[in-house]
Amino acid sequence: MENEVFTPTDFVSVVNQTLDYAYPSVLVAGEVASFKVNQGKWVFFDIKDEETSVPCFMSVYQLRVPLEDGMKVVVRGTPKLTKWGKFSFTVNAVKPMGEGSLKKAFELLKKKLGDEGLFDPAKKRPLPKDLIKLGVISSTQAAGYADFIKILNARWGGIKVQVAHTQVQGMDAPDQIIRALNYFNERGDVQVIAILRGGGSADDLSCFNDEALTRAIAASKIPVITGIGHEVDESLADLAADVRASTPSNAAEMLTPDRGAIKENINNTVIRIKNLVISKIDARVRDDAEKLNTIRDLILTKLDQLESQLTQRIKVLEAMNPEKVLRQGYAILSGKVSPGSVVKITTYDKEINAEIKDVYDRK
Amino acid sequence: MTENKSLNQKIAELDEKTEWFYSEDFKLEEAPEKYKEAIALAEDAKKDLEELKNEIEVLAQDFTK
Repeated sequence: MENEVFTPTDFVSVVNQTLDYAYPSVLVAGEVASFKVNQGKWVFFDIKDEETSVPCFMSVYQLRVPLEDGMKVVVRGTPKLTKWGKFSFTVNAVKPMGEGSLKKAFELLKKKLGDEGLFDPAKKRPLPKDLIKLGVISSTQAAGYADFIKILNARWGGIKVQVAHTQVQGMDAPDQIIRALNYFNERGDVQVIAILRGGGSADDLSCFNDEALTRAIAASKIPVITGIGHEVDESLADLAADVRASTPSNAAEMLTPDRGAIKENINNTVIRIKNLVISKIDARVRDDAEKLNTIRDLILTKLDQLESQLTQRIKVLEAMNPEKVLRQGYAILSGKVSPGSVVKITTYDKEINAEIKDVYDRK
Repeated sequence: MTENKSLNQKIAELDEKTEWFYSEDFKLEEAPEKYKEAIALAEDAKKDLEELKNEIEVLAQDFTK
């Protein structure tokens, strides 16, 4: 090749082939400088450290996070020699790096998308009450996914769960999650989509602040629930989702009723019915006893009255008994009362026949 | 008859049966039979709850491309 003569076009082409072969995909970390967008389509900036600056080029479409001069980023791309013989780094992905840059990018994009109404609470849809078909987007190797499935199975059953396995961190994760969202939306046979990822560093979770992913979640025809990171982690994906769960486990809790609580409720219902029937039987027994007591009291009162009446009559009869009068010394005279006639005189213990000598008026 | 009903239907039916005990239609003479029916339904629903399993399918689709 030493004596080979190239045309400028061939030379640039050979250099580019060599660069492609040697560095098909390179990650470069540094600080953004001279950021600008031309014609609304092309993005130019330099990525630099204290000594060196690398000119970068990319399309607006590929820029998924807001950039500003001074932000620390990692860019992924391929080195290239332009037809003007200038070195350029063609970038296909940018990710903010470090707490300050991540926060800055998050706040800038949050404001932009918020102003567009992507996080409007009025657009949020409720979760289905009777869940039988669920779409899950997560990494099946992630601890958060395992937690979700464990809680889901413990709480409820009868759900057909379709799992789209994707990366949940790194530069490729947003596009994979978007493809999975599109897959479920195109088929339309799940009632809700759960996007899940367990805890991690701000850098690990930064893929959920991707603009295109946030837009895809907001545009989903099927309601989306997110369970990303921990309670304190808020991502743009969370803000765009219909429902935000604090963790993957919490997402499983929000999606399903608790079979243990339902069983307890059924047991309580049966106990309540049993106690109700017992109390109604007691009430009936008390009611019947009261009626019997009333009847008994009526009968006793009537008997008392009859007894009293009988005693009275006996007293009257006793008072009228001739024997009682005779016992007091009186006598009964029977027969014609006229001088010379014989009458019968009855005393308590004697009967006497006597002749009447004389009859005269006492008064 | 109950085996063809969904769990939700069984729970709804149990609620209906429970309401009868609180309603003016309640008759002590009918209560034992109704109570037996409620118990059977409750046991059936609890059995369903125990046996419910989720069907988990990891899609073959490759989302990396």
